[in-house]
Amino acid sequence: MLYFDHSATTPIDPKVSALMKEVADNHFGNPSSIHKYGQKARAIIEKSRRQIADALGVKSRNIIFTGGGSEANNMVLQNLLYSDKKHVITSAIEHPAVLKVLKHLKRFGVSFTTVPVNKFGMVDPANIESAIRDDTALISIMYANNEVGTIQPIAKIAKIVHKNNILFHTDAVQTPGKIPIIMNELNADLMSFSAHKFYGPKGVGFLYIRDGIKLFPMIIGGGQEKKLRAGTENTPGIAGLGLAMEIAVKNLSDSQNHLKTIENHFKKRLTEIYSTAIYNGHPEHHLPGLVSVTIPSITSDLMLVNLDIKGIAVSSGSACSSGTVKPSDVLSAMNVSNKHNISTLRISFGKSNTIEEVDKLIDAFDEILEKYNKKR
Amino acid sequence: MAEQVVVGMSGGVDSAVAAYLLKEQGYDVQCVFMKNWEDDDDEFYCSSEEDYNDALQVCDILNLPLHSVNFSKEYRENVFSYFLSEYKSGRTPNPDVLCNKEIKFKFFLDYAMKLGANQIATGHYARIEKHNGFYHLSKGFDNNKDQSYFLYLLGQKELSKSIFPIGNMDKDEVRKIAKEHKFSNHDKKDSTGICFIGERDFKSFLQQYLPAKPGDIVTSKGKLVGKHDGLMYYTLGQRKGIGVGGGHGTTEEPWYVLKKDLDNNQLVIGQGHDHPGLYSKNITAGQLHWITSAPSSPFDCTAKIRYRQKDQACIITTIKDGIATISFTENQFAPTPGQSVVFYDGEQCLGGGIVETV
Repeated sequence: MLYFDHSATTPIDPKVSALMKEVADNHFGNPSSIHKYGQKARAIIEKSRRQIADALGVKSRNIIFTGGGSEANNMVLQNLLYSDKKHVITSAIEHPAVLKVLKHLKRFGVSFTTVPVNKFGMVDPANIESAIRDDTALISIMYANNEVGTIQPIAKIAKIVHKNNILFHTDAVQTPGKIPIIMNELNADLMSFSAHKFYGPKGVGFLYIRDGIKLFPMIIGGGQEKKLRAGTENTPGIAGLGLAMEIAVKNLSDSQNHLKTIENHFKKRLTEIYSTAIYNGHPEHHLPGLVSVTIPSITSDLMLVNLDIKGIAVSSGSACSSGTVKPSDVLSAMNVSNKHNISTLRISFGKSNTIEEVDKLIDAFDEILEKYNKKR
Repeated sequence: MAEQVVVGMSGGVDSAVAAYLLKEQGYDVQCVFMKNWEDDDDEFYCSSEEDYNDALQVCDILNLPLHSVNFSKEYRENVFSYFLSEYKSGRTPNPDVLCNKEIKFKFFLDYAMKLGANQIATGHYARIEKHNGFYHLSKGFDNNKDQSYFLYLLGQKELSKSIFPIGNMDKDEVRKIAKEHKFSNHDKKDSTGICFIGERDFKSFLQQYLPAKPGDIVTSKGKLVGKHDGLMYYTLGQRKGIGVGGGHGTTEEPWYVLKKDLDNNQLVIGQGHDHPGLYSKNITAGQLHWITSAPSSPFDCTAKIRYRQKDQACIITTIKDGIATISFTENQFAPTPGQSVVFYDGEQCLGGGIVETV
């Protein structure tokens, strides 16, 4: 089995799962309890918060644990329900955990403007500036796109946003362990993260909230997470998240180099067997190891099923919940033709992938293209 | 190397057991979940998701690979457009018959061949037999579940490449196997109605696609008794939901739809299950298809004018210009234009056509 779908999710780091097991087995106390059991559990949670804060160079108080990236996004966006200003600016290539939420909120008085992207999937900050209205409350632009990997000019956007006294949120779910996250350069007010994208567990993530920003909770109850996210904490998950974040940031340059090497090798080898492949996303400003490639002579569903038969996992545009393939909205927004859109694969490498594995992937491509007489 | 077969997995118990049986028989089995209908993107609930999850759990138990394929565009173009145009012209189509011909035994079959299989399999209750150089379609062993009615449009090519592994079993046996293997769908309700409408309200579904033209409801004697919302919402022989109570008639007997008068946009109704306007002995059928070859008329056989009807003795009196004239021995209740009439010789399904006039 070969796994090249790390932007969907990553395998858990064995050190992380070992820690989670240790916590689950030994520290079951309710972190809100005042006895020793509770204290130990709370100490574990606060340690994780500190690990994250240190990794990002922020304060512990800026980190609120959530049930993942989608929840963090929802928490930010659903606060528009309580805001006087109800206009949002976002981009055409956001994750559904942003775009679908905004569509949903429309019926409660929220309106939004979607700024376009260029053919590299890049937002132009000038378009954001001109979309700002008197009632604009929030701008939400992802740090790096999950399908084509394009890294957005977050720092430039932040400047525009803050000049206008608007809140700035960025969905940074795809970035830890792949690109630097320098908070005082990015200058976002709110940032969403999810542990399972960087070798941590599923179902846990966090929202970074800049000092001085007041949000209402989405889940109300026992007042956990400074009353921002009720519910007894997922202690093992949070412990795993903290360690995963620490590892991701500590090993950043090694993993960047590794991912770049793998990516370059893949591209070089693919060109050898298929000369007319098209790479999507920004040629320079993109996540290392995330390759969006169009193989015009074969549709992605046929490629995927044949790779799956060989035990190789990659992905195509956006997969529906029931597992079928549709043209990707992100590629459409980048003006990719429908024909190319449905012939596009997303291959996302991870830290355990090797050059030998890439060669096996290329061999599999070669066999499949040969089988259907699609070599070009 | 074992022979490759691709099983169409619907998420239901029948195709699940079909896959199990083929695996037991030593085939190299791949499973494919077909998505033939796409709901509006904005809907929170994706109705095929539960079916997919059931298919996934079965494949997990059987350790079989599962793939997904989306034929919703093909379905819209080849089945749904026909479905709408039939309703538009006042007829009552049967999209499931067409879905088998146009999707499952065409696009899906092609897809399976593309994957390298020699054959496909489905969980239909029907049997395929080869003799005298021809493939024949027979009723399922479980006559109560027999689905040959929906498969009469298949031809030699399709039958030669298909396997119906549960065709010689009865449903109880199928469910028993599913239960033994702890399939999550072992007690799942049989699907009813038109697949893409599912449990939704038929009327509001159709309304999204076709403009409704309200008009008068009249009795067979021409008396105005009410208003209808649009002729397409009614089908011949329908009793429930006409919206005309007793009091209009001479008795308290229920009212039935006798006729849809498209020219005058009138729904013609009559009272009582025995109303002569509900019955006919002679019908014609077009778009004829024969599984082996066309019989020479006059031809004695049996026929069904609706799914699960008991075989009705009939004579195909003439076949001329692609239209068959069929004369039944007994009066038939509400033969309906657009529905299929399917011919049988005992257990064997011969073919069929679409009811044109009644």
